[in-house]
Amino acid sequence: MDLLERYLQAVGQYLPAKGKDDTLAELRANLLAEMDGRVEELGRPLDEAEVAAVLEQHGRPVIVAARYLPQHSLIGPGLFPLYWFTLLKSFPLVALAYAAVQMANFIFGGGTNIGAAIGHFPYVAFTFWGVVTLGFAVFEFAQGRYFAQVKFAKEWNPRELPALSQQKGPSFANRVADLVVNALIFLWVLAVPAHPYLVLGPGGSVRGLPFGLSPEWHIFYSQIVGLLGLMLALKFVVLITNSASWRKGVELATQAVSILILVVMVQARTYFAPSPTGRLPSLQILTSVNYSINLGFKIALAVSIVKFVWDLWQMVVSSQAKHNRFVRAL
Amino acid sequence: MALEIQNELFDSLRLELRRGCLILAVLAQLRTEHYGYTLRKTLADEGLAIEESTLYPLLRRLETQGLLTSEWREEEKRNKRFYRLSAEGAAILTQLLAEWNGINDSLHKILRDKKER
Repeated sequence: MDLLERYLQAVGQYLPAKGKDDTLAELRANLLAEMDGRVEELGRPLDEAEVAAVLEQHGRPVIVAARYLPQHSLIGPGLFPLYWFTLLKSFPLVALAYAAVQMANFIFGGGTNIGAAIGHFPYVAFTFWGVVTLGFAVFEFAQGRYFAQVKFAKEWNPRELPALSQQKGPSFANRVADLVVNALIFLWVLAVPAHPYLVLGPGGSVRGLPFGLSPEWHIFYSQIVGLLGLMLALKFVVLITNSASWRKGVELATQAVSILILVVMVQARTYFAPSPTGRLPSLQILTSVNYSINLGFKIALAVSIVKFVWDLWQMVVSSQAKHNRFVRAL
Repeated sequence: MALEIQNELFDSLRLELRRGCLILAVLAQLRTEHYGYTLRKTLADEGLAIEESTLYPLLRRLETQGLLTSEWREEEKRNKRFYRLSAEGAAILTQLLAEWNGINDSLHKILRDKKER
């Protein structure tokens, strides 16, 4: 019976102190009865292997002990739909808020590393998930103990359902055209280094032109190409996705990328510089040209940010309205 | 569907189907007093085999819910814990049996209508 006592000791390690002796006494009585049953069948005492077989059949100590414990769940089935809905609906807002903060830092904070900002996002997302999960777990623990359990109300009014949405997104043909235009812009930008006349016009091929693209061009060119490539990928996602809410989210992301492109262009400041081989009649004219182009980009940036914030706000309001309807159903 | 996945799905659905039925069977069987081992034997003899590690914790849970009462008593020179249906358990059992019979009748009717029995 040494094996039986060792088994009971192992089970007891996983049981709470309260009621442990009682549980183990009952388990011992039942296991002894099982063994007596086997003895009766065989007509002789059990050897160690047969005792071990009875215990093995009964189950691993940790699993047996777990079955005696009260059933616990971090977030129960009653609260889980709300938890899942909160995660799904809030996550895009967290991503957008993070993008907005990083963008503001980029514009007003004297520049930031885009790679580092993207690399840091998983930590932000994980923290968000942890905080939401912890919040719901605390709520689950507290309900029924410190306040009444929250349940879905059975009564609800179908007449309060929102009217059928009349809003239609852009057609498939529009989305294809949008993708094609973006692809052409991307190709155009890629072709510029080999064919400067694409920016400077026919005069770009004239030797001895008094001005040319500024040396800074090479710095912001790679950033522009990268961002345009990202935008093209997002446009492709918009084309293939069937979910309207997803499409809206991706469209906002493309807006964010286009804002980043404008930020890069605004920061460049000098677009054209005097050519070392040419004779520029007046440096002031070139300064005015650069200033005017920069001002144009600044205006475009301001308009784009206002449009982005407005669309973001609309999305938040729409998401909150859905969330409120869901919560009202509780 | 791969055979392994199909078997897993069947096991999971079977477990779900049995869970409620086992509680009903245990409550019904405990209209007469039993301790864990004899209850398991009796259920197995009636064709409803149930693992020890499932049955014994279930008895304690049903007792905590007030559906069973128990007492330690010596039998054949050994202390054993005997379970019996409580008054509250008997009332719940009556309700559950009515529900069970209703479901059973409906299911038989559906299967008869579809000639799938």
